[in-house]
Amino acid sequence: MKFKIMILGCLLLALALPALAQDSVKTVEASAIPAISPPAPATNVTAMDSPNDNGHSLTLRWTLSADDGAGQKTVLGYKFLRSFFPDSGFVLREGMAPSGSSEYVDMGGRKPDDRDFMPNDTDYYYIVRAITADSNVYSDSPVIGPVKAVGQLYNVGRTLVLVFVLCFAAITIFFIRRARKGAKLFVRRLAGIEAVDEAIGRATEMGKPILYVLGLGTAADIATIASFTILGRVAKKVAEYQTGLIVPCYDAIVMTVAQETVRTAYLDAGRPDAYNDDMVYYVTSNQFAYVAAVNGTMLRQLPATNIYMGTFYAESLLLAETGALAGSVQISGTDQVAQIPFFVVACDYTLIGEELYAASAYLSREPILLGSLKAQDYGKAAIIVISILGIIASQFRWNWFLELFKAGN
Amino acid sequence: MNNSRIWSIVIFAAAVLIFGLSWIIIGSQAGHNLTDAFLVTVAAFLTLSILSFLYKDNPYYKFAEHLFVGVSAAYWMSVGFWSTFVGNLLPRISPSLCTYFGVPYKGFDIFFFIPLILGVFLLMRLSSKMGWLSRWSLAFIVGTTAGLNLIRYLRSDFISQVSNTFVPLVTDWRGIGPFFSDFSLSITGQFAMSLSNWVIFVGVFCGLIYFFFSKEHKGAFGYASRMGIWVLMITFGASFGYTVMGRVSLLVGRLTFLFHDWLGLVK
Amino acid sequence: MNKWGLIISLTIIAAGLLYLFIKSIRGRDVERRFIFLFMGLAVAVPILFNISFSEKATPIVKAAFDKIENLPPGSKILISFDYDPAMAPEVNPMTDAFVRHAMAKGHRVYFMNLWATGQPMVATAIDRIIKTEFPEKKNGVDYVNLGYKAGGTGVLNVIITDIRKMYLTDVNGINLDSLPIMNGIRSLRDMDLLISVGGGLPGVKEWVLFAGDPGHIPVVGGCAAVSAPLLYPYYPNQLMGLLGGIKGAAEYESELKRKYPRFAETPQPGIKMMGPQTMAHLVIMAFIIFGNISYFVLKSRGE
Repeated sequence: MKFKIMILGCLLLALALPALAQDSVKTVEASAIPAISPPAPATNVTAMDSPNDNGHSLTLRWTLSADDGAGQKTVLGYKFLRSFFPDSGFVLREGMAPSGSSEYVDMGGRKPDDRDFMPNDTDYYYIVRAITADSNVYSDSPVIGPVKAVGQLYNVGRTLVLVFVLCFAAITIFFIRRARKGAKLFVRRLAGIEAVDEAIGRATEMGKPILYVLGLGTAADIATIASFTILGRVAKKVAEYQTGLIVPCYDAIVMTVAQETVRTAYLDAGRPDAYNDDMVYYVTSNQFAYVAAVNGTMLRQLPATNIYMGTFYAESLLLAETGALAGSVQISGTDQVAQIPFFVVACDYTLIGEELYAASAYLSREPILLGSLKAQDYGKAAIIVISILGIIASQFRWNWFLELFKAGN
Repeated sequence: MNNSRIWSIVIFAAAVLIFGLSWIIIGSQAGHNLTDAFLVTVAAFLTLSILSFLYKDNPYYKFAEHLFVGVSAAYWMSVGFWSTFVGNLLPRISPSLCTYFGVPYKGFDIFFFIPLILGVFLLMRLSSKMGWLSRWSLAFIVGTTAGLNLIRYLRSDFISQVSNTFVPLVTDWRGIGPFFSDFSLSITGQFAMSLSNWVIFVGVFCGLIYFFFSKEHKGAFGYASRMGIWVLMITFGASFGYTVMGRVSLLVGRLTFLFHDWLGLVK
Repeated sequence: MNKWGLIISLTIIAAGLLYLFIKSIRGRDVERRFIFLFMGLAVAVPILFNISFSEKATPIVKAAFDKIENLPPGSKILISFDYDPAMAPEVNPMTDAFVRHAMAKGHRVYFMNLWATGQPMVATAIDRIIKTEFPEKKNGVDYVNLGYKAGGTGVLNVIITDIRKMYLTDVNGINLDSLPIMNGIRSLRDMDLLISVGGGLPGVKEWVLFAGDPGHIPVVGGCAAVSAPLLYPYYPNQLMGLLGGIKGAAEYESELKRKYPRFAETPQPGIKMMGPQTMAHLVIMAFIIFGNISYFVLKSRGE
């Protein structure tokens, strides 16, 4: 009889052990490794669809285990188990969240043949596992779910971007239309552009040519396009005063456009006979070879004025320095921020960044350019106002205002 | 034979002699073989050729420059072929070519023919008759880049940068008494933090005013604009200083190579 | 530091500057080749005598260091080498220091490039740092070199959602799925830190704009000095830390040495380069002063 009771007891124990092992807090392994006892589990676990995406992703949040950064301080991080069913089939996911973090985004593949595909609109159940240095010692949270991944059509986080795009586009269109209707949009005078007229006069007095460099940009660069407008103006004045003009080009397409620009300017000035194609010529598309050639021209022909407008790189200082050495008056303008310092030190006048575009709008009075310039000014005014409001908000801790400008992804 | 021709022959002979000797000497040293020594010698020759431009333009400089341009163009092309064409395209279109090139096949995907076709269109620039096709590819590149950049730049360079200027002009204010009793010039102290926040505010404000084109810069506006140009000039000065540091670093790098790797003068 | 070396260097520089000073107060032009030669000497002599100075990390560099230091061991760090050999002397010390630090902390490191010419730079960094100083670290387990993909910011736009859409294999053609280090890595969002080292386009800024900001992933940058002023506005909210030019690299090395005394004997190219750099800066500052003196002298004479 005693023997039967012993066997029954053993059987019961054998049945109970796996059940004990599945308990939410592991205790069996702890006795094997006395150094680490199981940590407190993560609590208040929630699972939800990740917002503002096309689905295939779920976000888990939890309150830190009592042993994460406090208590026994044994929690190294959290791992996640996922299943299609609430009571079985839980599989450990690959990623983990480090200790101290209370959020994890579980992303899966988007297409059926992707690795780790995670379909939308399918129920999932999760367990958050607080792990320790010993892979056998951990504690699991209760099962949470069901939760579905859903795709969203609109990303709420980008609302602010949308608002700014719409406002800016509306202002731009408004001013372009106004300019087209003939409204007089004021653009302040720019010192660099005033200097161009003086410099042309000086060249005429000295009987020396003007050298115009369009930079290394292609014909599609905004700076080069702005430069064409300024070249048109310079060429017109040059034609009127009958001074020489030299335009060495780096890019073949830029040369073609520049030839056209200068030809039109001479025609506008009523002196088409004075124009010849050799004024605008192609040099080379090798940066330093181009510099060497232009520098040679500067030293041989000693132009009265050198004008550099467009996109410039490392050659900016090499050109401007040689020009200064040759004693020419130099006017420059570029949107390449890194090169502006070199032009500032070596030239008499420099159009800084956006001034180059403004100069182009100022000279051409082209509605699209003028309208955009005006819209940009309003954009800048908006930045100033928002900055001041933000500073006040920051000073008085109006967090709702500061939160508005926390852009989403 | 004129003088300059004689000189160029003498310089050429001297260069061959010096670099030939260098190859043999380095190659014969312990820890080096002839291939290593050859590579170091060629690198030293090219470095000196480029530096010779400081004296004046010369054929050695031109040779080194053209070699650099040619090699890097070819390098970009070959890496592009292996990483993009073989690495990304073939695994999606052809199992047999994948086996040939030894890359894993990832299953057929018809969408990968779109970049392939656009790529071929781009190469049509080489043909004068079919050149117009390349514009389609360019239009695709320009359009998608502009669209993607618009969102990223607006978010990071506009909204985030504007919100970065939201700084309290008086940080951690607890009254005049604590301000003077806890006064410190340390970089994390209240005074220094408030001062740097003022610099950010005044710098951004005046810098923007300078680039305001719709109003004549007169009166108070003019003063702010003048302050703006000061801020810009200080920025350019810092930028100039950094550039000088960068260029000197590159010179130090080359000289260290010459003294350490080539001549073995420094450990 | 070699005391005699410093004295000899300073003497040569002082003699040259005296010559230039006399020329400048007389208002004479100085042959530019002489300036080049003098600049070369001011840099070469300190290199020959191994002159270096001590460095202390500034907050922006310390922030970068602390970011890596405070990540728990085993964290995933992606380092992108976005530069070419022409920029290498300036930025290699940064990548060396980042790799050394990450390896010493036991992080997992993922290398990649947005510049084709950066690919050999990764290979040499692995040989120079990991294989010699950390021979126990295994390719595919502790580090992996993903290599280069063409497309610049386009690459970032793709790998922020799925790395395997761009990278099917590592640089050696090994399937990514067979590498243990890639387990659990789907996209850049799974990285704990992104480090971009470069100085051109695409570079640190593009990593902030196209990866860090949209993915809410911390980014640390290392850049050539030329682009440093343009990146400062992103610190500290969009860029966790920044190493600007060789000075930034030297500061990082000094911090690494302070925290990990075992690195006291390893090469510190950043600190080493700051010796000649400092001398060159002194010379350039003198040039600026002499230039101004000469300008005012000539002006007062009415020339």
